[in-house]
Amino acid sequence: MISVKNLYHSYNKDGKYQVKDVSFEVANGEVFGFLGPSGAGKSTALNILTGLLPLQQGEVVVGGYDLKKVSNERFNKIGMSFEQSNVYSKLTAKENLDFYRKLFDVPTLDSHALLKLVGLEGKEHVKAGEFSKGMKHRLTFARSMINNPEMWFLDEPTTGLDPSIAADIKDIIKEKNKEGVTVFLTTHNMFIADELCDRVAFIVDGEIKLIDSPKNLKLQYGDKLVEVEYMEKGEVIKTTLSTVLPEDKRELQKIIEHHDIQTMHTKEATLEEIFIKVTGRGLV
Amino acid sequence: MIRKIWAIFRRDLKVNLKDSIALYILFIPIFLAVLINLFTPGINETTVDLALLEGDNPSQISYLEQFAEVELFKTIDQVQQRVEERDATIGIVPENGGYYLMTQGNEPEGIVDYAKILTSFYELDISMEETNSELFDFERTVPPLKKTLVNTMILLISILGGMLIALNIVEEKADNTLSAINLTPAGRLTFVLGKSVIGVLLSIIGTLSLIVITGFGTVNLLQLLLVLLVTSLLSISVGFIQGLTSSDIMTAAGSIKILFLPLLAGVLAIEMLGDKWQKFFYWNPFYWAYKGNDLILSQSGTWSQIFMYSSIVLLISGIVYLFLAPKIRKGLE
Ligand SMILES: Nc1ncnc2c1ncn2[C@@H]1O[C@H](COP(=O)(O)OP(=O)(O)OP(=O)(O)O)[C@@H](O)[C@H]1O
Ligand SMILES: [Mg+2]
Repeated sequence: MISVKNLYHSYNKDGKYQVKDVSFEVANGEVFGFLGPSGAGKSTALNILTGLLPLQQGEVVVGGYDLKKVSNERFNKIGMSFEQSNVYSKLTAKENLDFYRKLFDVPTLDSHALLKLVGLEGKEHVKAGEFSKGMKHRLTFARSMINNPEMWFLDEPTTGLDPSIAADIKDIIKEKNKEGVTVFLTTHNMFIADELCDRVAFIVDGEIKLIDSPKNLKLQYGDKLVEVEYMEKGEVIKTTLSTVLPEDKRELQKIIEHHDIQTMHTKEATLEEIFIKVTGRGLV
Repeated sequence: MIRKIWAIFRRDLKVNLKDSIALYILFIPIFLAVLINLFTPGINETTVDLALLEGDNPSQISYLEQFAEVELFKTIDQVQQRVEERDATIGIVPENGGYYLMTQGNEPEGIVDYAKILTSFYELDISMEETNSELFDFERTVPPLKKTLVNTMILLISILGGMLIALNIVEEKADNTLSAINLTPAGRLTFVLGKSVIGVLLSIIGTLSLIVITGFGTVNLLQLLLVLLVTSLLSISVGFIQGLTSSDIMTAAGSIKILFLPLLAGVLAIEMLGDKWQKFFYWNPFYWAYKGNDLILSQSGTWSQIFMYSSIVLLISGIVYLFLAPKIRKGLE
């Protein structure tokens, strides 16, 4: 279980917070995602949870370990895949994994089997420095599950990967989750959030705007969007508006009164559109 | 913990054995030893060559022949010619009823001292039996240049250990792998110890090869190890700092060179400067390490002397370490 209460973080300790009053809980066996644009503070929050960044303010308990008390033992239970791959470029893929296996006190997975799982079979003895970006990312990802973590932290697990590799990685995450692994991931990709997460938190400028399951969000916002095409100064303008939010309703009224409507229909909202509606910000 | 330290060391070794700069550093001690042997006479070949006037004083000649290679010449000019040749032959020529030593000026101090003592022994009529112990001591006396070089190189090798550590830290930084290590149960202490092993081992193995190759293999190894370890503490701390603050291998290797300065200053102070200057070098750990090693290499150090010098080195290195430790800790975050 992960429990976070009133988490704040300021890199420069200058009164400006990159993470502001963030609170949430992740149940055992859940896949929980931080969805937000670049610079929102997703990695910052995740790095505090893993212990890479010091806990400045707030209460964080991960897998039963209170982060205020230092304990290296808890790293046996967690795994982390980094946003930017970080492996020894002078060691081969297998040497990289073999080395990390020795740093844990718990049973670890076989390096060869792991490489096979992420599609790096046959590349065991190639130096990681000679790997492509995607291959390095897969090696970093493989390393994150070497100790059979109970809590699995994934920072942008599929960003920048080609679609078929991304699909493989998604399958592995689903598989591990089925085995009972709790997953905390960050992404700015709504499809990932939609497909993988039991619940998502929308995060913008270091603040959580909303936490809910993708299914609930769509139920709540889904049929309540209208896509309108209208003429303004001789140009066709296309916009999507909510029929729930007051300012959108007013806007819709204005458009109907003052402009020529070309088309208008309700539609199923994507998570991204919901994100924009809720936060007033896009995901890029 | 030992298992993890070992794993970290094995990883470093594996990488270093494939890396040309690291390999070079690993083998420098052997090169140095061979170089020293090439340019300085070996301990066992230490013979003192004397040039004397033929028929001048037969009893003196036969006395000196017991302890040195004696060559005889007809005239003082011929003796002088012989002395001026490239090797370290010393002339002993009569003057005003006594004798004086004719030297070229570049002879090793020890050889000149030896010749001086031989002549005075002869004049004092000290017999072979009476002088036995002292002369034995002299026979084993190492040419000072060689001892100085070996001692300096021992200190240099400990700096090389630091350099190797810096190199390996730079690698971790370049690959950004420190953050991955930080998320394993191997704590920071394990990491620091693991990374230090290769530096300490280089110091120990390098120094052992050096002294064996240069013929100092019979010195008190435990004493040497003690001085070595306390000196390494300094090189290791500096190695960590330079590794953490340099962005690439060349800057790291380059910035370790700042340690060469105190090293040379310490050696030169002891070898070249008079007593009144010595106190200006008391802050310098290499100064004390050099003194300790000097006693060890000439096999005249007592344990209490070695303990004293080691404690001074440990104290100074410890202060440097305490000063650097917070920066190291911060750098490893
Ligand atoms: N080391 C740092 N020092 C100072 N500010 C930082 C540092 N790292 C990140 N920031 C700032 O903190 C904010 C949040 O950054 P963070 O990396 O957490 O965003 P993110 O949501 O993970 O973005 P992305 O999707 O691009 O990975 C940004 O404004 C960033 O500029
Ligand atoms: Mg990020």
